[in-house]
Amino acid sequence: MRSLKAFLLGTLAVGIVAYAVAAALAVSAQAAGRMLDLRLGPLEIVSVATQGTATAITFGPGLLALALVGGLLNLAAATVIRRRAERQGDHVD
Amino acid sequence: MIAATDRIVLAAGVTLRQGRLADEVRGESWPLNGSAAFVLGRCGEPIGVTVREVAESFSLPLETARADVLRFVWHLNRLALVNVESGSRRVERLHGWLRLALRLAPAGSVPASLTRRRPLDTRSALRGLGTCLAACARRTAAVAAVATVVALELFSAAGSPGVALPVALGICTGLGLGLHEAVHAAMLRGVPSALVTRGRRTFVLHAAVPPGRRSLVALAGPLAVAAIGTGCLAAAALAPVPCLAVAGCPLAAHALALTVFTGDGRVACGL
Repeated sequence: MRSLKAFLLGTLAVGIVAYAVAAALAVSAQAAGRMLDLRLGPLEIVSVATQGTATAITFGPGLLALALVGGLLNLAAATVIRRRAERQGDHVD
Repeated sequence: MIAATDRIVLAAGVTLRQGRLADEVRGESWPLNGSAAFVLGRCGEPIGVTVREVAESFSLPLETARADVLRFVWHLNRLALVNVESGSRRVERLHGWLRLALRLAPAGSVPASLTRRRPLDTRSALRGLGTCLAACARRTAAVAAVATVVALELFSAAGSPGVALPVALGICTGLGLGLHEAVHAAMLRGVPSALVTRGRRTFVLHAAVPPGRRSLVALAGPLAVAAIGTGCLAAAALAPVPCLAVAGCPLAAHALALTVFTGDGRVACGL
């Protein structure tokens, strides 16, 4: 249960931060009238495309991939912290 | 830094009862020996006067009495049981701090920060929110000012003229801190709590609550602020307003407090 919590909270945290950075970059690019295509390998994170007078911001599956990586990292860190705490509990001087 | 003209006062919720020091927020009390009761019985007096009285009453050399009293006061202050009220003006305090910092610089350390505990009214969620925002207003303003100055420098170095974006970024950085703690306080409805600041740290000290509620309280602070930030960013993406997008970033960054790299995240995960 603790592991699931750590994974979900890490996913949520990194997902929100990744979305925030991507949205800020996209809005800035849109306001400056520039194109943007941010990718994580083959996965699109965010893109700003202009067609005529209209501009579209698209968030891609790269955001989800980043969030999942964040979840896994948080899970790994939680495991390390728990193991350290257990080792300290067994320690006798 | 504690000067001879400074005074100690019991923090809100801390009382002296029948030779014991009781903390309403922690729900605990500790027995006091004769000298501890003597010092705490002189709350409100300048510490220099208390030191002289301890030296006279316990037949101690002045230096020994000063070292003992200061060690005791530092320990209680570290536990947020007493606040230290300055007996000098702000400029004098800054001067004293700078002198001490210069003396400590070769050792690579800075003067220790004092802990300050402020009461929170948690009889209702709204009162908790309001009193916490008021309690950390000065800190919020200071963080906003520092963040604005840093943002102005960075934006200027990046060749982005104008002050609107750096100011929005700075205000939201400060506001995020205040809201984060205020939401923690609001979630502690009916639980004795206090806001504690020490150096760069700001946290809500509260009475013991069941593990489930503790997780919820820990989650609510960062989650609420991150949700506001995400809302700002979503609105900014719909109607392109760069200022709103930039302002939403420091608020959304509070989501990082959900990870185990921070205290809130560790509590939420039950670590």
